[in-house]
Amino acid sequence: MSIIEVRNLKKSFGSLEVLKDISIDIEKGDIVAILGPSGSGKSTFLRSLIDLEEIDGGDICIEGKYLAKNGIYPSEKEKRKILSKTGMVFQHFNLFPHLNIKKNLMLAPLLAKQDSRENIAELAKETLEKVGLADKINAMPSTLSGGQKQRVAIARALMLRPDIVLFDEPTSALDPELTGEVLNVIRELAKEGNTMLIVTHEIGFASEVANKIIFMEDGYIQAVGTPNEVIINQTNERINAFLNKVK
Amino acid sequence: MSDIASWVSQMLIGCKLTIELFAITLIFSLPLGLILSFIRIARSPKGAISKAIYYCIEWIVSGFILIMRGTPLMLQIFFVYFGLPYLPVIGKYLTFDRFPAGAIAFVLNYGAYYAEIFRGGLLSVDKGQYEASKVLGLTPTQTKFRIVLPQMFRIALPSVANETIILLKDTALITAIGLSDLLKVTTNIVNRTTNISAFAVAAVFYLIFSYILTIIFQKLEKKFDF
Repeated sequence: MSIIEVRNLKKSFGSLEVLKDISIDIEKGDIVAILGPSGSGKSTFLRSLIDLEEIDGGDICIEGKYLAKNGIYPSEKEKRKILSKTGMVFQHFNLFPHLNIKKNLMLAPLLAKQDSRENIAELAKETLEKVGLADKINAMPSTLSGGQKQRVAIARALMLRPDIVLFDEPTSALDPELTGEVLNVIRELAKEGNTMLIVTHEIGFASEVANKIIFMEDGYIQAVGTPNEVIINQTNERINAFLNKVK
Repeated sequence: MSDIASWVSQMLIGCKLTIELFAITLIFSLPLGLILSFIRIARSPKGAISKAIYYCIEWIVSGFILIMRGTPLMLQIFFVYFGLPYLPVIGKYLTFDRFPAGAIAFVLNYGAYYAEIFRGGLLSVDKGQYEASKVLGLTPTQTKFRIVLPQMFRIALPSVANETIILLKDTALITAIGLSDLLKVTTNIVNRTTNISAFAVAAVFYLIFSYILTIIFQKLEKKFDF
């Protein structure tokens, strides 16, 4: 069984069809990079996997449970349960500005009663160490650089021990010299066997870290395969045109 | 000098009413405003019946805020004290003494203003905060109280401070239904003594209260700063 199964997913914003017919299987442990020109529906696709966009048709099945079947969703409570092992990292970090870093990390596991307060605090410390920010545990988000904020956001997503982590353009809001530190953290996570889907414009990073590349355009998946198949040895004209533009 | 001492002791009695009205209005209108603002930013639910209820409540709240902001507070005080008892059927249950009548008008009026201040604060909380809360598994209620409200308070605080200081001075309107607040007592002293210095003393009283409020709000702003 695939960890994520998507069948005939459709999504429109008003009369604009953003996702026309998306079907894809993601296996456990896959590192998937989603590429494509802006407006191709990459972010909308990613966001629909975690219920930030409501789809109009098709199925989304996460770890064997239907988040949506024929475009119909279960109750809020049921959805929360299905998505409890899916985390997300946003382009604009979305840290909680009124809470310090420690509280940003601890809030969700505390509210979910994941563990005792002491253990969650301990986990927060360990997770911050993993992203190299142990010294910032009591800092407020407004005092951090963009790269640091994004690393905290990644740590916050990891606190719930997700099986799947979605990254929506994690480096697009960063200054070029800060993207490296964030990509390094993602690279490390990739080695740990998490399933990750990354919408990105970093072609080099994608072909290095991902074992599966999805190329999207005009609301369709135009190509799926290994980095070799989709980027390096491809003959697809659309992909060529896209790669030439971003290079 | 003994004149001033006797004025001050009379004014302190007026102050008691001013402060009571101010405190009661604040205690009840802030939560009222909060509830109204949440209703005004709530999105329409699904399902025909809940949608109908939603639009009904939405319409009532919008109408209430329009009336409260669109008519003078003094008129509202008159209406509650003199007008409500004349309403058919329910009028006899809506007959209030002077002070409760005044307080009701103040609470409703300021509730409407605070509601709009809070609504502005709620609208300026970034959409990303709701999305982050959702992907972290927070329920809508947890999101509201842990994430949205603290950020909204900080944004709304300067406007709340402004409105609250206006409230302090607006309490003088209660004299319209014959109650003796600080300003009314002062006017009586001036009329009796034909000496307008009492007004200066009253001004000092109002300034002291405003100053205390300013300090409190400065402290709050510092506390909620991030």
